[in-house]
Amino acid sequence: MTRGELGRIVGGTPRAVESGLAELVAAYEGTGLRLQRSGDEWQIVTAPQHAPQVAAYLGADRLRLSAASLETLSVVAYRQPVTRAEVEAIRGVNCDQTIYTLASRRLIEERGRKEAPGRPILYGTTWEFLECFGLQSLDDLPRALSPEGALVLEGQPETTTPSTLG
Amino acid sequence: MESQAPRVSVEGFDGPLDLLLELVEERKLDILTVRLGDLADAYLARVRAMAELPADEVSAFLALASRLVLLKARSLLPSLEPLPEEEAESEEELRARLLEYAVVRERASALGARLRAGERAFHREGGTVELPPRGGEVDALALAFGRVLALAARQRDEELVTPGERYSVEQRTSEIEALVEAQGRVSFASLLGAAPTVGWAVVTFIALLDLYRRAVIDLLQDELFADIVITRRDATSART
Repeated sequence: MTRGELGRIVGGTPRAVESGLAELVAAYEGTGLRLQRSGDEWQIVTAPQHAPQVAAYLGADRLRLSAASLETLSVVAYRQPVTRAEVEAIRGVNCDQTIYTLASRRLIEERGRKEAPGRPILYGTTWEFLECFGLQSLDDLPRALSPEGALVLEGQPETTTPSTLG
Repeated sequence: MESQAPRVSVEGFDGPLDLLLELVEERKLDILTVRLGDLADAYLARVRAMAELPADEVSAFLALASRLVLLKARSLLPSLEPLPEEEAESEEELRARLLEYAVVRERASALGARLRAGERAFHREGGTVELPPRGGEVDALALAFGRVLALAARQRDEELVTPGERYSVEQRTSEIEALVEAQGRVSFASLLGAAPTVGWAVVTFIALLDLYRRAVIDLLQDELFADIVITRRDATSART
């Protein structure tokens, strides 16, 4: 459900809805539920710490991904929207199959086309991605995992060779 | 799905950059300072040890191998003139790629750890919540049930008194048609009368359905359980 829809239903300004959502986020803290956000979409989901019980109830299988798929997924997650060629440039290997696998598992999806020769498909992560990894939103992605990580320019899919090197 | 995928990874290495990074880490070297050319021999040894690589993967490994050898050669012979291609990917650029890849691999393993921890969220499977139609108040339901009970009670009485009573739909249809023709507007309740039997109600209802099907009448009900108003459909509105 988007902020706009919420505003229309309750008859509030976007700001009022925003503060209401923030209150709700705080209210759910420590309960079995929480609010998950993907872009402007909001939804109530179960809290990740109770995943074993919910999974047992739903009979859900645990998602398994190969190291190659995880690498591709991490590039898409941190650099989205990103093209297959850009992912391949970073990983140094062909990523056709892993992209296909991730898309068929609904972890990534098409996000339009890049205005570049051949208009390649841009990929981004999905709602299911946030769910599967227990992330409340993309802001939750663990940052600065390594000291070297700071050297890598974020949010610039173009820069496969950053110029700022110490 | 995953198992059917042709594995890009060979001998545990997921591509040339992965192998190079592995060598750096095995030797506990710092990516920022290691002379990548020094790793050329070890890299080549590993590539040679890989049995039966598909051609396109070999080329990827060999492309990096040739660059490493070139870097090594240049460090041994500083006077070597740099080729134009070399300038396209100097040691620093390769180092930058390796650094970037190291971050990706670290993040991938962090994501993998999250996945293994299994701390995921679930949403409620969608679908809209069905609300009862307007007018479906408890009172109306109780009232309707009361009428059913009254009808049932009467039915029992009738069975005792006049078990053989029969109605004809055709006859009832023409009756109603004549009534609607004359009055223009009749209510379902008045058609049933004060004390209808079940048979009478059924025949009347079927007659109405038949008339509606033939576009002789229009049916109107303001709300749930309300009385049905029967009007004659005039020739003009029937055509539109």
